[in-house]
Amino acid sequence: MTSRLQLVALPAVAVLLVSGVLGVQLAHDGGRFEPLHPADPCVARTVTSQSDGIDGLSERLVLLGIDGAACRLHLSREALTLQLAQPGARSEEEVDALRAGLHDAVRRMKDDGTLPPASDLVDEALDNADLNGFLKAAIKALPDSVINAAVKIDDVLDRTIDDLDLRRVLEDIDDHDDLNRQVNAAVEQSVKDSVVDRLKSLL
Amino acid sequence: MTPVRRVAAPLLAVTVAMVLADSAVVTLALPAILFHLHTTVGQVAWVLIAFNLVLGVVAVPVAWAFARAQPRIFSAVGIAVFAGASAWCAGAGSIEVLIVARCLQALGGALALVGCLEQLVTVYGEKRGVTAWVTAGVVGTATGPVAGGLLTDAFSWQAIFVVQVPFAVLAVPAALAVPATAARVQDRHRPALRPNLTLALLSAALTAALFLLVLLLVEGWRRSPSTAALTVSVVPLAALAARPLARLLRPPPQVEVAAGCFLVAGGLACLAIPPSSDLAWTAAPQALVGLGLGLTVDRLTAQAMEMRLPRVQHAGWTIGARHAGVVLGLAILTPVFTADLQDAQVPAQEAIAALVLDAPLEAADKIEVAQALGRELTDQEGRIPDLHRAFADLDIAPEDRPAADRLERDLDAQLEAAATRAFRDSFLIGAGLALLALLTVLVPGRRTTT
Repeated sequence: MTSRLQLVALPAVAVLLVSGVLGVQLAHDGGRFEPLHPADPCVARTVTSQSDGIDGLSERLVLLGIDGAACRLHLSREALTLQLAQPGARSEEEVDALRAGLHDAVRRMKDDGTLPPASDLVDEALDNADLNGFLKAAIKALPDSVINAAVKIDDVLDRTIDDLDLRRVLEDIDDHDDLNRQVNAAVEQSVKDSVVDRLKSLL
Repeated sequence: MTPVRRVAAPLLAVTVAMVLADSAVVTLALPAILFHLHTTVGQVAWVLIAFNLVLGVVAVPVAWAFARAQPRIFSAVGIAVFAGASAWCAGAGSIEVLIVARCLQALGGALALVGCLEQLVTVYGEKRGVTAWVTAGVVGTATGPVAGGLLTDAFSWQAIFVVQVPFAVLAVPAALAVPATAARVQDRHRPALRPNLTLALLSAALTAALFLLVLLLVEGWRRSPSTAALTVSVVPLAALAARPLARLLRPPPQVEVAAGCFLVAGGLACLAIPPSSDLAWTAAPQALVGLGLGLTVDRLTAQAMEMRLPRVQHAGWTIGARHAGVVLGLAILTPVFTADLQDAQVPAQEAIAALVLDAPLEAADKIEVAQALGRELTDQEGRIPDLHRAFADLDIAPEDRPAADRLERDLDAQLEAAATRAFRDSFLIGAGLALLALLTVLVPGRRTTT
């Protein structure tokens, strides 16, 4: 082997090997194996739920609501979720942003037609409601059109969001029973207020 | 062949390999030691640092003392101290005791390394003796983490030290049986600065390869120590291929070392950017590192000792340079990857939150998953969490189990991605150290006038 070849052969092999391995890795997205980057919460996203009825509606509402709140607070949805999951007092800014985000979510679902009519939820709502049995039976006997005319779901949701003590809801987020009690009470009150206001406006 | 040549000399070579393997042998056992001795990450790193620091510091004074002692007594005492300290390490009940025992093990190891060199030269002659000593050292350095991982997984971290005891005990009479005489040579040559500096920088870079890779595999990618040990065995296997390659291409020694440094740097850069946590992606980068190791370490050690007297004094300098390099590597890299792991927590938690929020599970199940994950993340503060427990205890409907399993796999992938990202800078710093080593080879030396 000539001395010049001896001088360049091993370095050439080394460069070839390193370039080859680097090239293969980069061609397979080497360097991009990183955790998911949070999406922009201000860009509308499609949310789905595996649950039906009130649970499904609540889940979609909360997911969209957190997006709206995070957008207002200039945070990612994930950062806000982790922040809210921490124990401790909530700031006024956080509570206001969450409430506004939930209202935005109601509007968006109404606009894109994903808000179910009240008649779809009435049976489940009555099962959870603390009402007289005869009254429950009477309401269940009403035709869907009457229920939908009497109860506007977006109005009920907006009232519920306003009535809910979000600070307390966030504090009790680990206590399912207490959370359900608070939400059910707020929903019942909102349905009543909504129906009464509608009757007043009709009269 | 005399019994001394047939039995004693191989035992001395095994002792050299064991002492140098101890430099990194506990790397894969660190998580087990951390758990068993109820200590902190910062303290457990000293199990590794203490050994290398003591070996690096005492190597030259020990070599100086060797010239004034009986070689076989010197070796035998060193090996006996090494054996006793290894047994003490195995029985250590606290991290403080383990660190002290490791210091003593390094001191005995330094005596053994220096003594064994002279005795191997007595048995095999100058050239073959030095080659046997250097080769045993390279084999020990390259196979240490593999052996440590396999022993930890098969038995316990204590087994790493227990298995060294019988070999060392057998090596004591072997050392006494080799009638070496100390060559009373005045200090004729100055230490070879350039090869020792290159060796130190390269050792720091190789620390990145071995230490960081096993940590990434065990802590970041949650592989068992034995899987990690088998994975990193690519390095010693590739190192074996280096000699035939060098014989085939016959490069000048400096070119061989330069190419080796470049291969180590390239391998480390590739380890910084794996496309996924599939173990196969580590094979080729490790092969580059192994080839580089095989082309450089023995060649540099030989260059640092070649035609320099007294031999043991220059061997002491190479041992000192190598282990100072390991300590330098650990000192630079440990704070970097610890801080990067800390910084990786937020993106990892956000990625986990995103996947849980969008998971195809019932809302109640999502909340239960989130609560279980929250507990797991809190319990494992400062370390990469094991999410499996959060899913194992979940009380969900059987029809939702496939979705939960899929979510668990996705979350694990996020954690692996976060850990991989956290190790990136450290691997790149390791590559930078190897390039610095390359620079020491490429910078033209002073011309000697005749």
